[in-house]
Amino acid sequence: MQLFIRRYGTLIGFVAILAFFSIMLPGTFPTARNWLNISQQVSMLMVVAAGMTIVMVMGDFDLSVGSAASLAGIVAALMMVAGQPVWAAVAVALVVGLLGGAFNGAMVSLVGILPFIATLATMTMFSGLAFVVSGGKTISGRAIPEEFGNFARSGLPLGEWGGVAISLPNLSIIAIVVVLAVWVMLEQTTFGRRLYAIGGNVEAAYLSGINVRRLRLIAFSLTGLAAAAGGLMYASRVASANPVQGSGLMLNAIAAVFLGTTMSRHGEPRILATAVGVLVLGVLDNGLTQMSVDSYIRQVLVGGLILVAVGAGSVGQARR
Amino acid sequence: MSQNAIVEDPVGAPSMPLLSATSITKAYAGVPALTGANLVVAPGEIHALMGENGAGKSTLIKILAGVVAPDGGTIAVNGETVTIGSTKAAYRLGLRFIHQEFNVVSTLSVAENIFMGRFYPRRAGLLVDWASLNREAQGALERLGIDHIKPSGNLGELSLGDQMLVRISAALLDDAKLYVLDEPTAALTRDESERLFRVLREIRASGSSVIYVSHRLDEIMALCDRATVLRDGRSIDSGAMANITHDDLVAMMIGRKVEEAYPKQLKPPRKALAFAASGLAGPGLGPVSFSVREGEVLGVAGLSGSGQGELIRALFGAARLTAGTMILGDLPYKPSSPAAAWQSGIAYVPRERRAEGLVMRRPIFENITLAHLKRQSRAGILLAPRRERRFAAELGANMRLKAVGPGQDVIELSGGNQQKVVLARAVAGNPRLLLLEEPTRGVDVGAKFDIYSIVRELTGKGTAVILVSSDLPELLGMSDRIAIMRQGEITGIVEAASIGEDDLINLCYGRSPGMVA
Repeated sequence: MQLFIRRYGTLIGFVAILAFFSIMLPGTFPTARNWLNISQQVSMLMVVAAGMTIVMVMGDFDLSVGSAASLAGIVAALMMVAGQPVWAAVAVALVVGLLGGAFNGAMVSLVGILPFIATLATMTMFSGLAFVVSGGKTISGRAIPEEFGNFARSGLPLGEWGGVAISLPNLSIIAIVVVLAVWVMLEQTTFGRRLYAIGGNVEAAYLSGINVRRLRLIAFSLTGLAAAAGGLMYASRVASANPVQGSGLMLNAIAAVFLGTTMSRHGEPRILATAVGVLVLGVLDNGLTQMSVDSYIRQVLVGGLILVAVGAGSVGQARR
Repeated sequence: MSQNAIVEDPVGAPSMPLLSATSITKAYAGVPALTGANLVVAPGEIHALMGENGAGKSTLIKILAGVVAPDGGTIAVNGETVTIGSTKAAYRLGLRFIHQEFNVVSTLSVAENIFMGRFYPRRAGLLVDWASLNREAQGALERLGIDHIKPSGNLGELSLGDQMLVRISAALLDDAKLYVLDEPTAALTRDESERLFRVLREIRASGSSVIYVSHRLDEIMALCDRATVLRDGRSIDSGAMANITHDDLVAMMIGRKVEEAYPKQLKPPRKALAFAASGLAGPGLGPVSFSVREGEVLGVAGLSGSGQGELIRALFGAARLTAGTMILGDLPYKPSSPAAAWQSGIAYVPRERRAEGLVMRRPIFENITLAHLKRQSRAGILLAPRRERRFAAELGANMRLKAVGPGQDVIELSGGNQQKVVLARAVAGNPRLLLLEEPTRGVDVGAKFDIYSIVRELTGKGTAVILVSSDLPELLGMSDRIAIMRQGEITGIVEAASIGEDDLINLCYGRSPGMVA
């Protein structure tokens, strides 16, 4: 019984949340339209959390993903303001994220600073940089090309539902593609296997001939890349960029990964479990908003839920 | 109650047993660990608890310690049936446990570790009285005849053996009825072990008892009064040590007779050199020079901390070298990392299988292929789990690895089988040079033999082996030549066949062979 709760508690909780909202909001919650909406709402978090999963598989953290997302959005917006084409702006912003992540990786693997401290420092640095290059202002309006904002507003048409045309938003498609790519990488490649070995026993991994430093560097770079992608998606969705718009992503991404770890056998992060964690957070947000629950109360509820889920995952394990 | 309730004490008069565990059963997730174990310990005796890894010793001890609840059976202490529901309950019953994995805090002082969980002496009921804490700790150490450990020193700076002695002196601090020692001498030197045995005999003389778990049969023969042997979760026999021979014990543990402790060499070493080092030096090492021929086992002996670990790590690219050259086959060899060493055809079985060897919560096959992913995958990138499982299953079968299947998590295996997983990884690529560090530490007789057989098989195929061990019979039984290390240097290399155990000890201490130890 304990084992059952530990393993499936989060999934059962998720189903219970779905049932609850479906009963409370029968007209608006369990509809295709709302679900497509949720898929778009969670898409940015999904991408960032997928990136976070990569470093957390090694037992590391990246606290800088939120600032990296903001910085990437700002960089892209500034380039577009300067008249550069959208594709160039996006590419440069992604490279900025990749380099930022590589810098984290270098601090952790080459210099040997604890990930918590190293990324706490770069979190501040990236955030400061975003303010410096943007002058602290929100970049929006006509300076942002329409096609950039339109990308988030359009999607893949799925046909009609109840007389209204519905489509799968582009941002949701990106999130799905990223999750699948990370799934292949972590579960189907030697790279992923080695990351899990590092997370399980770094000394044994090293003595088995795994190049721990190089893999750490790559993993952090990929997390930075995902953070930048999340930031760009956010900027596209609101057709603007400001230096703090990614700040909520980091804690939610870590929360989603932790929610996910409650579903795996030995409490290790798994990408599909992370995706469920993201959905739990997204559905809660969506449902509670529709029920007009105050946003501060919402924060308390979401925090409490994380404690319950992770707590249930350790039922009977705290002996000391 | 059966006749188990009355036991013969060493003198011969019947007496109430101090502890009796009867028909104990326990299954983990349906897999039986104990299927009817009996253990009766009389007051004032040293009782050996023996069995192969996985026979159920650890489970039985955990039940006595209140860590695991039994499924069935009864436990009585001093004739009264008890339920040991927690470690506290075990403590109140007067049972003390000294485990294989020591629970120490290396950043605290020796005295603090000894008094951990106890009330520190205070001044005015408030401030810790450090002087008397250290004094009392000193007293506890002196009981073991230890005068070289400073109570105020940091525990982390002590050798593993000294740390163990600190743990033991902590358990001996208050007078308990029964001490349970699980493999206490695994990390101890001979002198340290002797010191411990003196204390255990003192405990026996004072009327308390000891349950002593060890794979070292010689120790048990010399120290213990009676023995209980477990096999496959049930007790096979228990009896007075005086009536049992070494061979009887081995036969009882593994259920068959073992003719020889060490398998015979399949082929003599070849002429060609497999590896040569000249003038190797680094922190705590050297300069050392030596060579190994193809198919040869070069043993490395020495007191603990004489540079054996540094040497192996240097050969494996895991430690910095300041001078010296190496040749592998006929090419210069200069590893920059363990990854480079594996690629050059050098394999390594590290000293601590849990800390350095295994990813405990991952399956057997993943642990084995960890060093061979390049070949056991598609193009070095995509995983091929079915190929990996087959690969692991073949290796496992060859070394008689006991497991549900290659997908079983390593953490669920017994110590001997875990060691076989580490060895399987090392031999998987048919290495040119195999580095073994304490390959059979904490491993039972049957698994030891299996491990030795695998080594023989490899040397027969031309693999050179460097074997670092503190188990002298193992060094003498397996090596062609033995290098003696002292203070980071090789002081001599001898033919293993030409010397005995006493000579080897003398050499390790820097005395000439032939002296009376």
